[in-house]
Amino acid sequence: MALTDYVRDMRGCSRCSSCKWVPFNQVKSWRNAMNCPAITRFNFHAYSGSGKMNMGLSHLQGRSELTEGAADIIYHCQLCGACEVSCKVYRDDIDLTDVLLELRATCVEEGQLMVEHMAMLDFLKRDDNPLGEPKSTRGDWTEGLGLKDINREPADVMFHAGCRFSYDPDLREIVRGTARLLQSSGAVVGVAGGEESCCGGRVYELGYRGEAANYAEDMLSRVKASGATTLVTGCSDCYAHFKYAYPRIGKELPVEVLHVTEYLDRAITEGRLRLRDSVPMKVTYHDPCHLGRMSEPFICDWEGDKLLRPMSLKRTGKGGIYDPPRRVLSSIPGVRLEEMERIREYSWCCGAGGGVLECDPEFAAWTAGERLQEAISTGAEAMVTACPWCERLFKDAAGESGLDLPVYDITQIVLRSTGTR
Amino acid sequence: MAVKAVEDLKERLAGIVGETSVNDDRNDLLQYARPDGDGHLPTCVVRPVNPEQVTALVVLANETGLNLVPVSSGPPHARGGTAPESGAVMVDLSAMDRIVRMDRRNKVAIVEPGVTFGRLASEASKVGLKALMPLLPRQRKSVLASYLEREPIIIPKYHWDATDPLLCMEVVFGTGDMFRTGSAAGPGSLEQQWEHGEAQKNPMGPGQTDFGRLVQGAQGTMGIVTWGSVKLEVMPSEHRIYFVNDSLERLIEFAYPVLRRKMADEFLILDGTAFATTMRGGAAEIGDLAGRIPGYVLVLGISGYEYFPGERVTYLVNDMADLAKEAGVALTRSAAGVDHLEAERALSGPSGEPYYKHRMKGGSRDLFFLTTLDRVPAFTAAMESLAQEHGHPVGEIGTYIQPIQHGRTVHLEFDIYFDPGSAKDAARAGGLFSAAAKACQEMGGFFSRPYGPWADMAFEACPDTVDALLKVKRVLDPRGVMNRNKLCFKEA
Amino acid sequence: MKPEELQKLPPEVYKELEEVVGPENISEEPALLDGYAWQPTFNSSPDLWVPRCAAAVLPGSTEEVQAVVRICNKHNILYKAHSTGWGTFNAVKAGGIVLDMRRMNRIVEIDEKNMYAVVEPYVSGISLQAELLSRGLNCHMIGAGCGASLLASATSGVGDGWDGISMSYSPRNVLGVEWVLPDGELLQMGSLGSHGTWFSGDGPGPSLRGAMRGWCGAFGGLGVFTRVAVKIFNWPANGDHRSEGLMFDYLPPLPENLKVFMVVFRDRGSFAEGMYKIGEAEIGYIQCRNALGMILGGALPRFQRKLPGVPAMVEMLKSMQFCLTHIIAANSPRELAYQEKALRAIALDSEAFVLDMGQLPLGGLLFWGLVKDSLPPLIFRIGGQFSSVFGHDETWDSSILLNRVGQEIKQKWIDRDGMIDDLADNAWMFLQEDGMWTHCEELILYDPREEKHVRSVNNAIAEAMISAVEHCQGPGFMLLNPMVRRMLSPMMSHYNFWTKKLKKEFDPLGLSDDVAYCSEEDVEEADIDLENMTFDIPPEELARIFEERISVIPAPREMAQ
Repeated sequence: MALTDYVRDMRGCSRCSSCKWVPFNQVKSWRNAMNCPAITRFNFHAYSGSGKMNMGLSHLQGRSELTEGAADIIYHCQLCGACEVSCKVYRDDIDLTDVLLELRATCVEEGQLMVEHMAMLDFLKRDDNPLGEPKSTRGDWTEGLGLKDINREPADVMFHAGCRFSYDPDLREIVRGTARLLQSSGAVVGVAGGEESCCGGRVYELGYRGEAANYAEDMLSRVKASGATTLVTGCSDCYAHFKYAYPRIGKELPVEVLHVTEYLDRAITEGRLRLRDSVPMKVTYHDPCHLGRMSEPFICDWEGDKLLRPMSLKRTGKGGIYDPPRRVLSSIPGVRLEEMERIREYSWCCGAGGGVLECDPEFAAWTAGERLQEAISTGAEAMVTACPWCERLFKDAAGESGLDLPVYDITQIVLRSTGTR
Repeated sequence: MAVKAVEDLKERLAGIVGETSVNDDRNDLLQYARPDGDGHLPTCVVRPVNPEQVTALVVLANETGLNLVPVSSGPPHARGGTAPESGAVMVDLSAMDRIVRMDRRNKVAIVEPGVTFGRLASEASKVGLKALMPLLPRQRKSVLASYLEREPIIIPKYHWDATDPLLCMEVVFGTGDMFRTGSAAGPGSLEQQWEHGEAQKNPMGPGQTDFGRLVQGAQGTMGIVTWGSVKLEVMPSEHRIYFVNDSLERLIEFAYPVLRRKMADEFLILDGTAFATTMRGGAAEIGDLAGRIPGYVLVLGISGYEYFPGERVTYLVNDMADLAKEAGVALTRSAAGVDHLEAERALSGPSGEPYYKHRMKGGSRDLFFLTTLDRVPAFTAAMESLAQEHGHPVGEIGTYIQPIQHGRTVHLEFDIYFDPGSAKDAARAGGLFSAAAKACQEMGGFFSRPYGPWADMAFEACPDTVDALLKVKRVLDPRGVMNRNKLCFKEA
Repeated sequence: MKPEELQKLPPEVYKELEEVVGPENISEEPALLDGYAWQPTFNSSPDLWVPRCAAAVLPGSTEEVQAVVRICNKHNILYKAHSTGWGTFNAVKAGGIVLDMRRMNRIVEIDEKNMYAVVEPYVSGISLQAELLSRGLNCHMIGAGCGASLLASATSGVGDGWDGISMSYSPRNVLGVEWVLPDGELLQMGSLGSHGTWFSGDGPGPSLRGAMRGWCGAFGGLGVFTRVAVKIFNWPANGDHRSEGLMFDYLPPLPENLKVFMVVFRDRGSFAEGMYKIGEAEIGYIQCRNALGMILGGALPRFQRKLPGVPAMVEMLKSMQFCLTHIIAANSPRELAYQEKALRAIALDSEAFVLDMGQLPLGGLLFWGLVKDSLPPLIFRIGGQFSSVFGHDETWDSSILLNRVGQEIKQKWIDRDGMIDDLADNAWMFLQEDGMWTHCEELILYDPREEKHVRSVNNAIAEAMISAVEHCQGPGFMLLNPMVRRMLSPMMSHYNFWTKKLKKEFDPLGLSDDVAYCSEEDVEEADIDLENMTFDIPPEELARIFEERISVIPAPREMAQ
């Protein structure tokens, strides 16, 4: 697909601005009525979903050039998908996120690249991760856990840690705990260790289609070779790309792909994981965009008038993963969940996605700060989430802004309740 | 004005309205002057009978620089809005007194300026409608004049916006050009519009200016209205008056939820003195009744309409009783011996004679402005204190609190009663009146209808508003022929 | 140089503006500016663009707005402000600058007792309402939807909404106003100017609200409004609710003492009788005529597309086209019982039948959709765009007459495949102020990506305008078009002559773009090109209609001279 394939979508925009707001039936306060970090922070219409579609059409019709300034606007967007959810409440024939993705691909094709993203690309080329960390240390986190080497040993479950979990020392205990939880549930868990590489999601989002396809191919061959029947990841970014981007570029993984929250939910329900200890805590849960609305699986493209396509092919955000993490939390003795105002498919983004963390960390931190304020207003003692990118950014933003709210990965709370040490 | 000039002027005016409709008899002219004897007499009065004559008069004024002062109500003209400047010609519209149309289905009437409340109410009732009235208007009070001056009506639930109950108008601007406001503007004549089901009910526009609002509140400084359509409401099938007699603070607490829910029809709060003057005729009776009323009296009406009127009244009474209980007040059918039927009679038409404000002492200086209900106690306290300072008996001030715009704003009125035969009494009342106006303005009382001496005080507080009003004036009355030197439109 | 010839701001002007709002809040990036040039709603041009402005600025305060306007006056630059910015009327002429008021989005004050809220331009209906419901209060929501600016509809736009029966019409809900005049001076209207209080917008003396706007506003042609106090109203339920779902998966319960009904009338006659009685009984909170065809299209556009091929189904839908959705809101069970009894009795007397929608799953969606005004953008779901003709506010009798004519015009173009078949007479009608007057618009559904649709819509609009004149009705929204103003002003007391004079007084340099206000120039983007249209009214008939309706009010003397 290319931007030209979305002319009808772009020309269909009624400029109603629904894309800027939480779906109206779910607006609960003035403070939390907005859904899109970019338009909320930068205010010009061009920063909204609608505005970016206008830019795309303008470019295709030769009304405006794809300048550095235009590209800057296009990349000041977390690709969180909130605009599309709000748009789709009213429209069947506009695939807004796909337009945003195609705009980025067009930027790449036309050489309008962000310097910060180029650096990230260099890191990826060199070490298969966007963080600039050496490939050789990628598997260090697995040390002493007794996990199977998926390249050599059979396993039921292939666990994909993802770049952030693999390298971030502050999050290391989380990923190690996750692996122990999987093991506690009785699964034979294998990892690629040092052979694991980036899922390619970030480059896909930045518009580097060729690189994204290479990473997907790499992952596909590793999964095939492993013989595992289930792929589990604790990284929501990776999860969304496995579920949506991979099949969309023809690299669907031939295994069941589960986010760790889905896996734990099943394990708890089936009695394979017992939550014994009380964790007395009032928490609020942040839905990661990539676990929620952005993880809706890709089924197939639709030719022709999208108004006539089956509803099952329309991405509304509803098919994201919202209930499993909540069920897991509610299974933990002592945990009380206080919901924020913006949840589930209309959750506010943490700020890290779409390359924003790399190209404008200040904007990313502002976005996270908005969310932390919302979380604090619930009266919760801690925020729980299920994505390392969210966690990293929330921790940093809380520290920088002096907002005193602990941030936990959901597996940390589960681990405490299982008594696993 | 020189005798010759006056004669020339009369001749030209007679050429428009006919000789018998031009009058400069001093005794007749006196009725247009301020009753307190201040100010001037007009040069003469003309009585046009149709819009064409009105137009011709304004055109003449533009040619000659005449100062025209439109007036519709009969005397006395106590506030000074129509008090003439020296050399002014009064345009007395009372002869234009047709009820042009009465439309039961759309609850609207078209009236000319000379139509009084008594006549409108009477004609409306014949088709099952009622006129929306201010509190006990004078017998000769023009409906249009009252509405043009944004006088409050006593049923706040029908007062949606400041313009109510006035809808569309035909007006001759100060330029001498005729205009129709709102949906009456066209396309089509009134008759053609009626044929197509229209009833001149939309007061806004036409288009992107609300011309009616620029004429309303202008005290005749923008033009002369020759007819207007006015809202009427359904005459209730069942109607009951209730009273709540308690402290002002408690009444206010009770009033807010009742107003918010639009439960009542009539809804006004009076102190003992004002209550007595509205319900009783003679000074002695008034004094007696006022003395027996502690605090304030809320008078409210409850109505049932075509469908199950009794049931409507019953649920409203019960719901209101619940609210009364919460506020610690009681709904009653009589207050200090005034029966609900007496109140019903008193409120259903214009004031009997003498005019209710004159019943206690013969004269009244009326001080009124807009504020909000919660701010009222501060004003009443200030007024009491000022009255004491000026040696004016507090019991000789009637306080009238009229919620408007569903209760978002209140018209707060202090009527300072005095004996016009006593120079001392009149001077004392005048002194208190001036001091109280200044004090209330300083406390945030909004003199939205600034008559006579209030105008300078009110407009000094809002120079930007004055600048904007002057722009409007330059468009609608560029030569300043209409009611000169009123409001902020002072001659240089 | 005429201001509209200036396509790009001189660098020194840009710099001056930048110093006012900061570099982050001004842009002349063409791609960004095209975000303001995309205006498909009410756009008669098939490419759906409007002129691109020379720059966009985002003022953050009244002082910044004043400074920007003063710079425009100093350098002879056209400008126009918008709030939420939907519709062609937000466009400034080429070379002008747009003031996007998004940064001014604060709720300044909510006075619960005295029932008003003070808001800045970017406060939408839904964001204020979200703060009000828990306080037992509500606000008037307009037909453009709950995402639209409250200030814009109160000061500058139109402002009809289906809660009109209990919460009136935006321009009638205005109290104090803060207004940056076209020359940059500040005007605080009403009690605000005198005392800094917001409770009254009229006076002292004549109300400047009359200069600010009429039935509709100046659409950015008369300066910039920065704060307004709007009336707020009773909400008898206990706060809001929390239910999952976004629209058709959204099934919240109804609150206590509120109910939603559908009242289906037999024909226009019985509909009229019923509506007059409902108004007089004072029993409505929210109400709207919603034909089933429209509801079907919003919910199931695929199905709606297929239905015209099934005549029996179409006839069935048409038999229910005089359908009123009606919400009653009571403060007590006693009141609820009374209101429901009265409504049912009125229906019986008017030969209508009543469905208690609260008994169906759809009821909660319908109820909250109407309360929150979240339904309007569904109209885009059907074909991508809608247009609206008439915008009539008078009696029910005149509205229903217009509605019949409007439906006939629309059907003709539907039959020619010029717009989407909405399967019924889909006028948007409701009572205002307990029946004091009535609103009526004829809605047209179409796909703006289809050129033939755009052409047909333009034709239908032209015919509707002429038909409105023939039936003695004002042009409604069509007066936003300069050519319509030019044609109709002589039939309407020459109103535009006076409006233009006022404009000249308030804006001597004419820089607050008046293309949607009082200008009578030909402007390509907004024109109805009668000569090149294919509508079915012969020229001689057109001349007769116009001649008959020429105002009985003579032209102003200054015009005649």
